[in-house]
Amino acid sequence: MIERYIEQVSTYASDIDGLITLIGVIVGFWFVLVEVVFFGLIVAFREKKGVKAQYITGEEKHQKRWIGIPHELVLLCDIVIIIAAVRVWVNVKQTQPPAQETVRIIAQQWAWSFVHPGPDGKLDTADDIKTVDELHVKVNTVYHFKLEARDVLHSFSVPVFRLKQDAIPGRVITGWFKAKRTGVHDIQCVEICGIGHGLMPARILIQTPEEYGTWQAAQAATASK
Amino acid sequence: MKTRFAPALFTRSQSHVVACLTSLVLFCVLFCVLFCGACSVAGSAAPTPAGAELFQLCAQCHGPEAGGNRPVNAPSIAGLPQWYLEAQLKKFKSGGRGMHFDDLSGMQMRPMAMSLANDKEISAIAEYVSKLAPTKPATQLTDGDATRGQALFVTCSACHGADAAGMEAMKAPPLNHASDWYLFASLGKFKAGVRGTNPADTSGALMRPMALTLPNEQAMKDVIAYIMTLKK
Repeated sequence: MIERYIEQVSTYASDIDGLITLIGVIVGFWFVLVEVVFFGLIVAFREKKGVKAQYITGEEKHQKRWIGIPHELVLLCDIVIIIAAVRVWVNVKQTQPPAQETVRIIAQQWAWSFVHPGPDGKLDTADDIKTVDELHVKVNTVYHFKLEARDVLHSFSVPVFRLKQDAIPGRVITGWFKAKRTGVHDIQCVEICGIGHGLMPARILIQTPEEYGTWQAAQAATASK
Repeated sequence: MKTRFAPALFTRSQSHVVACLTSLVLFCVLFCVLFCGACSVAGSAAPTPAGAELFQLCAQCHGPEAGGNRPVNAPSIAGLPQWYLEAQLKKFKSGGRGMHFDDLSGMQMRPMAMSLANDKEISAIAEYVSKLAPTKPATQLTDGDATRGQALFVTCSACHGADAAGMEAMKAPPLNHASDWYLFASLGKFKAGVRGTNPADTSGALMRPMALTLPNEQAMKDVIAYIMTLKK
């Protein structure tokens, strides 16, 4: 349902959407039910001629059922949500498939900088490719990212990946993603980081290995000039 | 004497329900009116805000008088010529400046320029700032030798003028109101290739080889010490 409004481009986007949908359906069901009961009771027990108002303490067994039964059902729903959420959390955050590529992502006021491995395929070597506001990745490739912040708290978000990870000064946080379709999509900062917070958009370019190779060669040629 | 009223249309309990429904309908109507109004305002061609209004964003870092604020890497910009301010804002907006991996302060400025909607807004803000009274930033670099710097400044004077007042024809801004820390940082960026290497920054490309003629940091400080003696 959610993918009708925003694409699912990472391998785990559908899992997260499924969880959000599950929570939405459960909460929505209870919301509608409670509102129907609430307004139904208001109308049913509105002031009537000859009927005296009374204060109900809710201590009678047949009255307490109105609280007790929904309470137990909601707890049951909570357990379902927790089980589903933990499964997704373990899949997305706790388990990292082996990296095929690694990139460094650096947040600062108010831009995103990226370090891509050069032709040697390794980070922190002389042929690294550094870009600002453009992250290039290969489709169908497991990427590990090393996320850093140069100044204050930021948060790296790629909405089509359903990926969001805080960046904290002094820490290097590792995460992963695998894009399953080519395209160009938004990167956002989703942690208030100063006056330019809303003005630091970047893009992720998901390319075929051939396109990525062409881009990488062009960057290497520019760097060698 | 009893007064006789006409029979009520609703009973008291029914009138509560009717009142609730009426309020709900009124709320929906009000929401629709406000929403449509907001849409029509958003869709209409808004006039360009005045420079003073646009400057409020700049003032957050550059200060209310555009005198600069070193802790946030914001130089003094008050009184800089309009042509220079426009050119720099356009460079920042298009990515000609503030897009180098190591240009940290440039990256702070770039989104601010990107927030200006069009050339009209850039002109409005540049005109406003150019008319502000130039400030006299306090000297912060103390170990430069102005006498040695005077000899080095001969190269600079070819474009910036003997009095460092700048020359539009050479795309060289005035330096005689600039903060010394900003000049030092800028020369360092030009020397390191952080500025003046972007193909879109043609005037920066003119400056880079000039900065490279300064052999070391001491030479940079010396020439800046001389420029500070030209402050108006």
